[in-house]
Amino acid sequence: MEWANDGKSKGGVLAHLERLEIQVNRSHKNLEDPQRAQAVEHALRTKIHKLRCLRDELRSKVKRRQARVRASIANEEPDQTQEISEQEVAERRRRQENVKAILQAYRFTGLSGKLTSRGVCVCISTAFEGNLLDSYFIDLVLQKPLWIHHHSIPIFIPLEEISAKYLQTNIQRFLFCLCEYLNAYAGRKYQADRLQSDFAAYLARPLQRNPLCNLLSFTYKVKLRGQLFLFCARLLYKDLTTTLPTDVTITYPETDALPPSWEEQRASHENLFFTKPLHQVFTSFARKGEKLDVTRV
Amino acid sequence: MDETVAEFFKRTILKIPMTEMMTILKAWDFLSEKQLQDVNFQQRKESLVQDLVLLCEKKRASVHDAALLDIVYTQFHRHRKVWDVFQMSKGPGEDIDLFDMEQFKSSFKKILQRALKNVMVSFRDAEENAVWIRIAWGTQYRKPNQYKPVYVVYYSQTPYAFTSSCPLRSNIPLLGQALTVASNHHKIVKMDLRSRYLDSLKAIVFKQYNQTFETYNSTTPLQEKSLELDIHMDSRIIHENRIEKERVQRVTQETFGDYSQPRLEFAQYKLETKFKSDFNGDILAERKEPLRCLIKFSSPHLLEALKSLAPAGIADAPLSPLLTCIPNKGMNYFKIKDK
Repeated sequence: MEWANDGKSKGGVLAHLERLEIQVNRSHKNLEDPQRAQAVEHALRTKIHKLRCLRDELRSKVKRRQARVRASIANEEPDQTQEISEQEVAERRRRQENVKAILQAYRFTGLSGKLTSRGVCVCISTAFEGNLLDSYFIDLVLQKPLWIHHHSIPIFIPLEEISAKYLQTNIQRFLFCLCEYLNAYAGRKYQADRLQSDFAAYLARPLQRNPLCNLLSFTYKVKLRGQLFLFCARLLYKDLTTTLPTDVTITYPETDALPPSWEEQRASHENLFFTKPLHQVFTSFARKGEKLDVTRV
Repeated sequence: MDETVAEFFKRTILKIPMTEMMTILKAWDFLSEKQLQDVNFQQRKESLVQDLVLLCEKKRASVHDAALLDIVYTQFHRHRKVWDVFQMSKGPGEDIDLFDMEQFKSSFKKILQRALKNVMVSFRDAEENAVWIRIAWGTQYRKPNQYKPVYVVYYSQTPYAFTSSCPLRSNIPLLGQALTVASNHHKIVKMDLRSRYLDSLKAIVFKQYNQTFETYNSTTPLQEKSLELDIHMDSRIIHENRIEKERVQRVTQETFGDYSQPRLEFAQYKLETKFKSDFNGDILAERKEPLRCLIKFSSPHLLEALKSLAPAGIADAPLSPLLTCIPNKGMNYFKIKDK
């Protein structure tokens, strides 16, 4: 408290004492009028009580409403399951199994997929001549830009090239192009596998092949009129989207010249390899061989 | 048989542990079943080796057969070597790769033999269209040194080759050239990837380490619920940070997946960056030149160790992308410079 004697504080010490006196008188008045004080107190008390009651009421209202909402959600299901009969349960389960089977069967279309948390997992199922072969997967993340999360495509398939060309601009084309490459690869592989397993007896040396099965080299036995000849065949598949070779060369490994009738055979074999799948060519060789044996007997 | 060749046989067979002797000799496929049956495999190793060397001599085994045996041994013990990865590339618009293994082998051999007078190259075909190449280097005046060979594993119709560390560094460019030309590629580059685990390196560069795909045909139950089970297993344990734990598990699963990680032993970061400090006026922060520092993370199985860091509470999730990008980028050697 500043007891300044500069006249700024109103009146100085004496004025201050006056003010204190007035304050004391006021509080004395209140004491003298206890009834009034009590009345004020009472009024405040009732107000507090009223507000508390209101608060309790509102609280219970909220509780009741919440309970009603919960009950209504819970009530929907129990009401329904009570009404469903065993027959309907079985029917529902059968329909579910049906849908699952349909989704699984989509694999047979060659191109199917399943939505994932970040995009889609595409399944490319390859086939050749009605035989279902390997399936390959690509997990795509649907973001801008689209990217491949992981995949099971063999390393020698030009996936990066195809993605660079089509993935961002035309996803349909991307998938179809990939399908083409994979189906062609699967078809060539199938032919090479069949040759190795089913017609091993015709091969003088093991079949030479590369991972893409686009270069096949083999020496096979040809029998005609009791004579056995060896032909060296070299099949090149320069178009990776086809299952038939683009280049066929059949050579006669011996240094002596091939007799003219055999030259015909050689040329016709070359033509055969161009036009028919490998294992079918050998099947026809086998059939011809059987026919010849029959006529001999 | 030449003394040096006999010695080569002896040392190669001595390397083979007794428990693997029969398997490796069978894989080598030089001694017939009957001949192997006649050998007493119960005797002491030194005597067994002597018997086997005599047998090889009788069968007129050459240094090339010994080299093949060495390849078989190395194939069984591939983790004893440290493998580097090379990536080749074709020129723009090059023809379809009509890879012919015989042509590749003869071309590869010719290129090396034309450049170096004394070099011995051996080939052994392996699974998945791979070929193992063993190269013993000689000089103008010395025969090839059979005890310091280089191995190259090349997967045909792919741009990747894996080589064991070459003791003679000067031969590496020639090796690269031979590989590139023989496989119809244009350029070869060494990747910043190195490990003892050849199969893991292959999984990383071929991007084959994650082979789980979501389909309608899969019968394996989802593994997302595995963490919840862990947490609720013991009712006496109350997990205070359940939500945070689940978040960490989710982030870890998104980054590392559910598959087993490829195996690497280390990751090395070479830093050439300016020192960054929170304190103003720090002496190091005033340096104008970048600090040079090398950080190396080592582990018997680095990626699994990194995967377990956040769930163990040792690191925050998500981990730094410098650590998590390793299999994706196919690198475990990094050079970090200021941008």
